[in-house]
Amino acid sequence: MNHTAPLIPVRIVNEYVYCPRLAYMMWVQGEFAHSADTVEGKIRHKRVDKPGGRHPETAGEDTGEIHARSVALSSEHLGITAKIDLVEGQGRKVQPVDYKKGKRPHVAAGAYAPERVQVCAQGLLLREHGFEAGSGILYFAGSRERVRVEFDEALVAETTRAIEGLRTDSAKDKPPPPLMDSPKCARCSLIGICLPDEIGFLAQQREDIRPIYVRTENAFPLYVQSPASYVRKDGGQLVIEEKREKIAEVRLKDTSQVVLFGYCGMSTPALHECFRRQLPVTYMSYGGWFIGHGMGTGHHNVQTRTAQYRASFNEQTCLNLAAGLIQAKIQNCRTLLRRNWKASDDAGDKAPPQLLGALKSDMQQAGRAVSVQTLLGVEGSAARRYFEHFVFMISPQKNEETQGFDFSGRNRRPPRDPVNALLSFAYAMLVREWTVALSAVGLDPYRGFYHQMRFGRPALSLDMMEPFRPLVADSTVITAINNGEVSKKDFITTAFGCNLSPRGRKAFIAAFERRLSQEVTHPVFGYRLSYRRLFEVQARLLIRYLTGEVKEYPTFVTR
Amino acid sequence: MEHVYLVCYDISDQKRWRKIYKTMKGYGAWLQLSVFQCRLNKEDLLKMTDTLTEIMHCDEDNLIIIDIGVAETVSFKVASYGRPFQPIKHSAVVI
Repeated sequence: MNHTAPLIPVRIVNEYVYCPRLAYMMWVQGEFAHSADTVEGKIRHKRVDKPGGRHPETAGEDTGEIHARSVALSSEHLGITAKIDLVEGQGRKVQPVDYKKGKRPHVAAGAYAPERVQVCAQGLLLREHGFEAGSGILYFAGSRERVRVEFDEALVAETTRAIEGLRTDSAKDKPPPPLMDSPKCARCSLIGICLPDEIGFLAQQREDIRPIYVRTENAFPLYVQSPASYVRKDGGQLVIEEKREKIAEVRLKDTSQVVLFGYCGMSTPALHECFRRQLPVTYMSYGGWFIGHGMGTGHHNVQTRTAQYRASFNEQTCLNLAAGLIQAKIQNCRTLLRRNWKASDDAGDKAPPQLLGALKSDMQQAGRAVSVQTLLGVEGSAARRYFEHFVFMISPQKNEETQGFDFSGRNRRPPRDPVNALLSFAYAMLVREWTVALSAVGLDPYRGFYHQMRFGRPALSLDMMEPFRPLVADSTVITAINNGEVSKKDFITTAFGCNLSPRGRKAFIAAFERRLSQEVTHPVFGYRLSYRRLFEVQARLLIRYLTGEVKEYPTFVTR
Repeated sequence: MEHVYLVCYDISDQKRWRKIYKTMKGYGAWLQLSVFQCRLNKEDLLKMTDTLTEIMHCDEDNLIIIDIGVAETVSFKVASYGRPFQPIKHSAVVI
């Protein structure tokens, strides 16, 4: 017996019997997500968990009646630890009682295996401490029924097997594979992290994907860009003030992240509450430079980051990932041009075939690149081609209003004309969105595979956003201009460059958020989801690729 | 999945009333004295109910939670005089 191994909580043994992968993700990787079931369980347990009653340290010193709540016991020998809801009995004869929030299941054994094993493990702990525990009780609060569980040989053997299995699995550096087609997945709170069907599909173990139970998004970002505003906390709300006057209230439960532009302030209690709720708070300059980002204590899953760092030293992995991402980016640029081409003098309203052909060959070249260096060259020439023709996606009339687009292509630091200003701002917003998404799943946004690491540059965010530059950023710019959501008067142009005015910025952020809420069909899995949720799915798939659970990272392209 | 709820309460003690009101501000939109409109998923409903029932005194106060239906699809007719009624909509907030 390895005495340095951490004791395994008995509730994790329960999860292990339910699904070995779930137990691994919770215990080894520190993943957790609340669902209605877990919240209800927590509330039901509040009363039970108050310590109380009499419970002798070891058996034998007392012969009186025992009725003790919330009894913590551990055993080095068994390698487990538990907080038993209730221990009741007489003298040395006791039985553990475990509270379950639901109703009693109508099965022959009285209860499902995970619960029976859990209470049996508690019984083994009691035996280890000198008590006689021949059976235990599962109390189902939902139907107010007690179910007796006999600790017979078969159950004890099953329990020991489960503890042993969990210990063996925990020592591995990869989680066990997901369950296939199991009805258990639908109610599992970690389904969005585990992605059982997606991984099964990519590993070619299944032909189709069950319509994933995508949770509807019910929390959205709060952007504060109005100068001199201040954010403070009031109960379950964030209150935004300007010159000490309340200008808006936002419920924290409806907020997914807070973005602050320029020098607006935020109180420490408000920050604490955001961090407690795992809401990221990001700071940007008025011009849209991404300055910094905070998110509580960060993600527990160190394994993910280890896999990320390890992969980042492997040249072939870097090249594979980079080539896939750049290929997808060029393909998406091509699709955007094809879809949004506006009438020009000679070519009509269809993108010229030679341009589309050239981009296609760029795409193929990117796929064949033998080094990151050649890939950079291919990307550069494709980008030049794309931006030379970017202007044809802007309606000619609006083009005049915005003083035209610099035909030499992109210019930046600072951008010198309105369209470049919008593009720069949109990319900054996209970097921010990806940094938040990557940190939220436990990846390190600063260690990339394609972009060089430079101080302050979230390299992985820059890598991952490549395919989405045209789809999210560029397309928002085109839509905002063509719909007249931003116009010439929303820009401030000086000798030092061109920038958005507060009103223009507000209008553009709204357009950007609208784009992120738009639903697209996933090219590989075929279900529909919003861009915002798509970023999370892609980030989680990257983790699965880095840890070796899927062979290839599926990049995102639209048709 | 989110449902729309109407939450109404009668609280006999001013201090408790204040506490309930403040809690409710975090879960829904204030409609009228002691009446809130909420859009909650099951987790939030459980948390809200738990917090409220801990503050209130069950023998003196009263709390009613009316489930109006699934937020995405439900259509309920509201007549509001004097002040317009606005259903809760979720979207990014830009200030």
